Amino acid sequence: MDIKFIENKIADTMAVTGSIDALTAAVLTDFMLLKVGEGHHNLIVDLSQVEFMSSAGLRALLAALKECRNKGGDLRISGAQPGVDKVLKMSGFTNILKCFPNNQEALASFSE
Amino acid sequence: MIHQISRSAELTTLSEFRKYIALICSQHPEVDENILYDMQLAVDEACTNIIAHGYKGMNAGSIILSMEINDDYAEINLTDFGHAFEPSRSPAPNLDAGLEDRPTGGFGLFFIYQTMDNIDYTTNVYGNRLTFIKRFNNNV
Repeated sequence: MDIKFIENKIADTMAVTGSIDALTAAVLTDFMLLKVGEGHHNLIVDLSQVEFMSSAGLRALLAALKECRNKGGDLRISGAQPGVDKVLKMSGFTNILKCFPNNQEALASFSE
Repeated sequence: MIHQISRSAELTTLSEFRKYIALICSQHPEVDENILYDMQLAVDEACTNIIAHGYKGMNAGSIILSMEINDDYAEINLTDFGHAFEPSRSPAPNLDAGLEDRPTGGFGLFFIYQTMDNIDYTTNVYGNRLTFIKRFNNNV
């Protein structure tokens, strides 16, 4: 699993590639919390290149989401593929965080 | 035909099992992407539990993944030799919880129940076996 961090004035994007499972989720969590700690409170997690995510990925997203919101920001999802989208829906996570089909719409949502 | 591999009960095994399932399913056109993901997810969640709890306090052991696919369904078996674990004893997560109360655990078993059509668990002196059935055809 790889993570690319792209900074932007409105919201920063975390582009993840690969699979988010119990092995790799810890790395993602640590990285997201590090960035939030550095002051990046508006995050877009781009999952368009994530082929697989299990409940371990949900834990990672939830930890970062709570930190972002505690600091007055938000975490939003972009580009979830069908399988990953199903995991987000089955767990009810689509009720607590905003998901967008692509980065452009996710970024625009932070300006609203 | 039964396809079977055995790997150590470690987190690195998770991706190996996903790849193996994808490889077997690539030979069966009736298995579409959604069904494949469901099977990979159920196996991933079950193995994560075995790895986290199954061999606690024991020497690290192994997990055997076996699959059998026909035109109508796939049967997946996961066998380990650690502590027995009763799936039906775990509570379901609260899906309506607000952010602060949102559970971070418990989704693994929930996803298994959501994605698989039949689940069976047997345990004896030879080991613990978790069996999933995933049907391809709604008419079955």
